[in-house]
Amino acid sequence: MIQKKVCMLGATGVGKTSLVSRFVTSLFSDKYLTTIGVKVDKKTLVVDGTDVTLLLWDIYGQDEFQTVRTSYLKGASGYLLVADGTRQLTLETARELQKTAEGVIGAVPFILVLNKMDLADEWRVDDRALWRLAEDGWSIIRTSAKSGAGVDDAFLKLTQRMVAA
Amino acid sequence: MASPAAAPQGDRTPAAGAVQAADFAELRSLIVGPEQRQLSTLQARLDDPAAQTRDVSRVLPQAMLLRKNDPQLTRALAPTVEEAITASVRRNPRPLADALFPIFGPAIRKAIAASLSGMLESLNRTLEHSLSWRAIQWRITALRTGKSFAEVVLLNTLVYRVEQVFLIERSSGLLLQHVTSGATGAQDADMVSGMLTAIRDFAHDSFRVSDDAALDTLQVGDLSVWIEQGPHAIVAAVIRGTAPQELRVTMQEAVEHVHARLGETLAAFDGDTAPFDAVRPALETCLQTRYRSERKKASPVLWMAVATVVLAVAVWAFFSLSARARWNRYLQALRAEPGIVVVSEDRNGGKFAVTGLRDPLAPDPASMLAAAGISADDVTAHWQLYQALEPRLIAARARQLLRAPDAVTLEFADGVLTAGGTAPVSWIVDSRRIANLVPGVVRYDAGPLIDAQVRSLAQQLEASPLLFVRGSTAFETGGEQGLRAQGERLRDLDALAQASGRRYRIEITGHADTDGPPESNDPLSVQRATRVRAAFAALGLRQIDLSAAGLGSRQPLSPNTTEADKRANRRVALRVVPAGAPPGKPAS
Repeated sequence: MIQKKVCMLGATGVGKTSLVSRFVTSLFSDKYLTTIGVKVDKKTLVVDGTDVTLLLWDIYGQDEFQTVRTSYLKGASGYLLVADGTRQLTLETARELQKTAEGVIGAVPFILVLNKMDLADEWRVDDRALWRLAEDGWSIIRTSAKSGAGVDDAFLKLTQRMVAA
Repeated sequence: MASPAAAPQGDRTPAAGAVQAADFAELRSLIVGPEQRQLSTLQARLDDPAAQTRDVSRVLPQAMLLRKNDPQLTRALAPTVEEAITASVRRNPRPLADALFPIFGPAIRKAIAASLSGMLESLNRTLEHSLSWRAIQWRITALRTGKSFAEVVLLNTLVYRVEQVFLIERSSGLLLQHVTSGATGAQDADMVSGMLTAIRDFAHDSFRVSDDAALDTLQVGDLSVWIEQGPHAIVAAVIRGTAPQELRVTMQEAVEHVHARLGETLAAFDGDTAPFDAVRPALETCLQTRYRSERKKASPVLWMAVATVVLAVAVWAFFSLSARARWNRYLQALRAEPGIVVVSEDRNGGKFAVTGLRDPLAPDPASMLAAAGISADDVTAHWQLYQALEPRLIAARARQLLRAPDAVTLEFADGVLTAGGTAPVSWIVDSRRIANLVPGVVRYDAGPLIDAQVRSLAQQLEASPLLFVRGSTAFETGGEQGLRAQGERLRDLDALAQASGRRYRIEITGHADTDGPPESNDPLSVQRATRVRAAFAALGLRQIDLSAAGLGSRQPLSPNTTEADKRANRRVALRVVPAGAPPGKPAS
């Protein structure tokens, strides 16, 4: 059995918890997010014939009022940077969080998740910025927690990269 | 040989080219011939699968040893090994069963023993509590709260129980190993492990403590979580109840064991938890349970000891009470005894003690012990002598002082000591002088004794006539002795008269037989009486008056028919009468 700790990082309201809820059946209440700032969930995937259990640390979103507790990042094997495709600013927050995470846990695998792809009319993220990120080696996946599109793919790709690392 | 570089390209003929090629071939053979042969050999080996297999077989064991801790190798081999085992079992399960038998046998026995032990303990506990008053209360509680009876029993008898133990990787919070006490379990140990780590991190960050400091205890209702941390992993125990601090030592030992055995694995932890199966036994040592100690049923030996003690106490109490009862009876007898005054009594050091006053004439208290059934060794007595004034003791003391003959009776009442019975006159006279000196005697009354003695003397005097020779005033043979005897009696009587303040008269009457004429017998009888009176008068009697008279032969004692009768009639008789009594009346 392989276990991996995965952190969900992103600005407030980008849909991290919704993505996790779409991916797993939660055991703990969301109230932990607003109390201790994190909620842990679990999901087991099969990658290359091996069971890999992901412990998903859904960390409370960063905004102008609070920053991410870096202690929650310790020991993570990878993370999902979640941004809201309808809010350009959340992409900047994701960039900041990536730097923070890399400072704490090093260059572990991560994937930038652009959520809310179901709101195509309200999409505000600049494609050129995404190109630049891709050129920097970032993996980018568009998802919709509402419809479930791309969610499993995001987690699976991250898991594959963590196992391969 | 020319250099290929020096020959112009355009002048070469085919023959010359062939020669040149052969030269080059020879040159190559000379320069790189060995390498070419080696390359050919290598190529042949590479093209030969059998040769490759042989080569790989030589290095494969060493290579696997070098990569023994490589998870990729494990992952690579796992499917093949699994399939091989599966195929082997399908083909013939016996070899694998035989190989695993030494492992499964003890493991199965241990598991069965543990299960049976737990089941028996639970069964015993349930049976112990099934019929008691406490059990009834617990059943009511179970009905009221909706919990099972077993759960209520557990909650009421449990001191503490370590229900779960988590081994958690310190930085990631990933669960490395998890053991439970069997009946309990977390909702999801992996997520609990993660949240527990998050809570620890939250507490650590919130209170800005040093890096070494960490949350080590959580309390939730009757559950608590104790945490012991090592460099790379922590052990968290979920405890119901109140555990002793010794449990922390056990947990710390488990942490140390894990790091000692799997320190390198922990340091290079990449998410593979399989190696940590090896430390389950160390974690299971933390799964401790302690119930409230029930009152053990006393052993027969203890019951016998208690019974012996009770019996000993009962025997001791019996003998003690019996001794006390005997002692009380003894004290009662002492107090009832005249001349003995009990001042105090006590019991010291297992001995009875008594102090008091004792008249020398009272019975000896020591002699009374035997009658009460008490050994003299068990008593300490201190008696102070004194003279008691009880009538019986005064009478006894008077008897002792007066040296009263046995025929004398002495009675004391109201200060008067009264003497009765008979006694020598001299004693009677002496007693009158001494009796008043006896303590307590106010007056001495010897009247009854004197009266009796007077009567006795009177009888003796009157029953002992003095006999005379025929026609003479001379006494018969032995008459002088009789006269002296009568004289002694008169002296006694006189003494008694003096003692009693009375006076007596002795009437002395002479008699004669009928042998002679009355004219001569009358004077003869008077002479005989006169002679006797004269003899008695010489005694100097002070309280006795003497009178003499003669009756001739007119009052013979016996008919004068025989000589013996005549002899008896020739006599002088005495008669004792009070001084005031009329003549001729006998004394009373």
